[in-house]
Amino acid sequence: MLSRIADSLYWLHRYMERADGMLRLLKTSYILSLDKVQTSGLTWEPSLKIFTSLSAEEIEVLKMNDSASLQYLVANTDNHNSLKVIITRARENARGVQDQITKEVWEQVNHIYHLVNDPFLTEKLAGPEAISVIDLLINSSDQFCGITDSTMPRGQGWNYMNLGKYTERCLLTVEFTHSFFKKVDFDFAKEQDILFWRSLLLALSGYELHLKNYSNQNHNYNVAQQVLFDRHFPRSLYYALGRAQKYLSEITASNPVEGTTALNRSFGRLHSYVHFSDLSIVEETGLEKFLLFIRKEMTEFNRIFAQIYFSYS
Amino acid sequence: MSQGITFTVYTDNEGIERIFPFDIIPRIITGVEWEHVEKGIKQRLTALNLFLKDVYNDQQIIKDNIVPAALVATCPHFTREVFGIQVPYDIYVHIAGIDLIRGDNGKFYILEDNLRTPSGVSYMLENREVTKRIFPDLLAQNKVRMINNYPLILHDNLIALAPRQIENPVVVLLTPGVFNSAYFEHTFLARQMGIQLVEGRDLLVDNQKVYMKTTAGLQQVDVIYRRVDDEFLDPLVFRSDSALGVPGLMSAYRKGNVAIVNALGNGVADDKAVYAYVPEMIRYYLNEEPILSNVPTYQMKNEEERQYTFENMTNMVIKETNQSGGYGMVMGNSSTKEQLEKAKTAILANPRNFIAQPIIHLSTVPCLLDGKLQPRHVDLRPYALCGPKGIEIVPGGLTRVALREGSLVVNSSQGGGSKDTWVVD
Repeated sequence: MLSRIADSLYWLHRYMERADGMLRLLKTSYILSLDKVQTSGLTWEPSLKIFTSLSAEEIEVLKMNDSASLQYLVANTDNHNSLKVIITRARENARGVQDQITKEVWEQVNHIYHLVNDPFLTEKLAGPEAISVIDLLINSSDQFCGITDSTMPRGQGWNYMNLGKYTERCLLTVEFTHSFFKKVDFDFAKEQDILFWRSLLLALSGYELHLKNYSNQNHNYNVAQQVLFDRHFPRSLYYALGRAQKYLSEITASNPVEGTTALNRSFGRLHSYVHFSDLSIVEETGLEKFLLFIRKEMTEFNRIFAQIYFSYS
Repeated sequence: MSQGITFTVYTDNEGIERIFPFDIIPRIITGVEWEHVEKGIKQRLTALNLFLKDVYNDQQIIKDNIVPAALVATCPHFTREVFGIQVPYDIYVHIAGIDLIRGDNGKFYILEDNLRTPSGVSYMLENREVTKRIFPDLLAQNKVRMINNYPLILHDNLIALAPRQIENPVVVLLTPGVFNSAYFEHTFLARQMGIQLVEGRDLLVDNQKVYMKTTAGLQQVDVIYRRVDDEFLDPLVFRSDSALGVPGLMSAYRKGNVAIVNALGNGVADDKAVYAYVPEMIRYYLNEEPILSNVPTYQMKNEEERQYTFENMTNMVIKETNQSGGYGMVMGNSSTKEQLEKAKTAILANPRNFIAQPIIHLSTVPCLLDGKLQPRHVDLRPYALCGPKGIEIVPGGLTRVALREGSLVVNSSQGGGSKDTWVVD
């Protein structure tokens, strides 16, 4: 497989996963913004922190304005991480590898691209249609996952796509968790009610699972347990790292080039660290330190991986 | 209904990707007529191939004063850099699109030769797929000849050119990238042949061999079907600002380590001024009379012919010799006085750059427009493939239609459409 193609497939899925995570967070924030009982003043702040490069003061101003926040996050191209930019980048990557993805996948990416380029998008986001627009986008993103799964051949390309997807998912889970736990100073003992955590859980599509699994009142602890270590929760760090490990080993097994052994070892170390940890270890290390460590390791892994497999220009 | 069917199936993004209108009524050519056309094109291509070999090697045809040396030397596409390079099987023109028109006497004329990177073949193939859906039973009943083996023949020919004697030679299609107007066709052909679609930045040259950068390291490339123009292919030899090419590609080509399709330097043979000499080439190389005739062409550098053209300007079409796609064309009958005067000045400034041809009243065929059958002017571009086993022409080709009433310009960049072409036995 050409390095350029592998690179594009990897980034196509990273961007699509990022868009997906973002949309879920946006929907939660939007619904929350309608309830005027704003729990802990937490509406647009996490989204703005994660998906923009605005300064703290600018966020303070913008977060009070619901429709402006939504506009900035979805449709503003000055924001390099707005949905519109992310989807455009995904489509650019898909367009360059049109002969490597199925027609169905390409058409779905294109479909989403046209949705975010709707000339009336800004108007719709400002009005009562906002929620249906977000719903339609989430639905299309789900369809993208389904179409990819049901039409793409399980070859090399598949491995790169999925590695991209799960790498992005790890990072998103780390970012989301970090920004919500920051509100409680990364303290498991600090009081916080379930309504607060509901935003995080809904943004990760894990609220129902949470209600089924946990009945005690130790919310902070339970939420951390679920988003970091629940092996059945598809957006937990544990699950995402496990999947990434699987696709990475398939890639390195079929392309054993210089540096892959070291790459395998370093990712294996990270994966095992999470795999064999539990909350007591996290408490010892401190949650913030733990999350930052994962983020740093993932970024470094990404750099080396790109160097080995994508260095074409 | 017939309009606005798009073959850039994937998108309706305005701007970059263009919609190519399609007319549903197929154009019919009888088997007998086709045999004649086929023979004529084969003869012409054989002669053009010999010409290219000659002009880049011994130049006998110039020494024998059949083609004037000045004409070749002043041709902008005459590429000195490929002088003396031996190409596999002496084939220069692997893929050719020969434009034919039919005058009011029913005779086919050659309008121009496209020997560099002719495009449009995907439209020919897609047009047939659409017709199959619209008239499924008609196609079978009328014994319409099959065209869909084009990619297979091309693929076989490409594989046969590989310089290394190995079981699975690596064949790639080199595209300028997603912003090229024919990108749809590039992906279409790569898919149909099952070959890699690469961009210049995917390739590198090391020790006069071409490699592509894959996730498993470098992989040697044997054959490049390039859809990048000559002057962009190698920044070390041609345009140094080209980001589309591969530095060092020419050295690998010269060494014979990679085959490039079509060969470099073909532009000298499809130059509009050289075109006038093709019948002479056929007589010279093959000792045969041309089967398909040229449209009479007047060389502007020739004083008498220029005088004649200026006197009959309103019945002439003036063309720039190194332009294609309907650009740089002045139709004498539909231009204003100022435009004609401007053309005259331009011709006098650089006569070598222009030719004139009498306006031929292209034949018309019925088209379904606005729900009514209406006559429209058409041309025909059959695609010929030259391989080691000989020349094969897929029966039919692309029929281009001038959609505006009375218009004679069929180029897709100038508001033309297309229709399916049936060769019926």
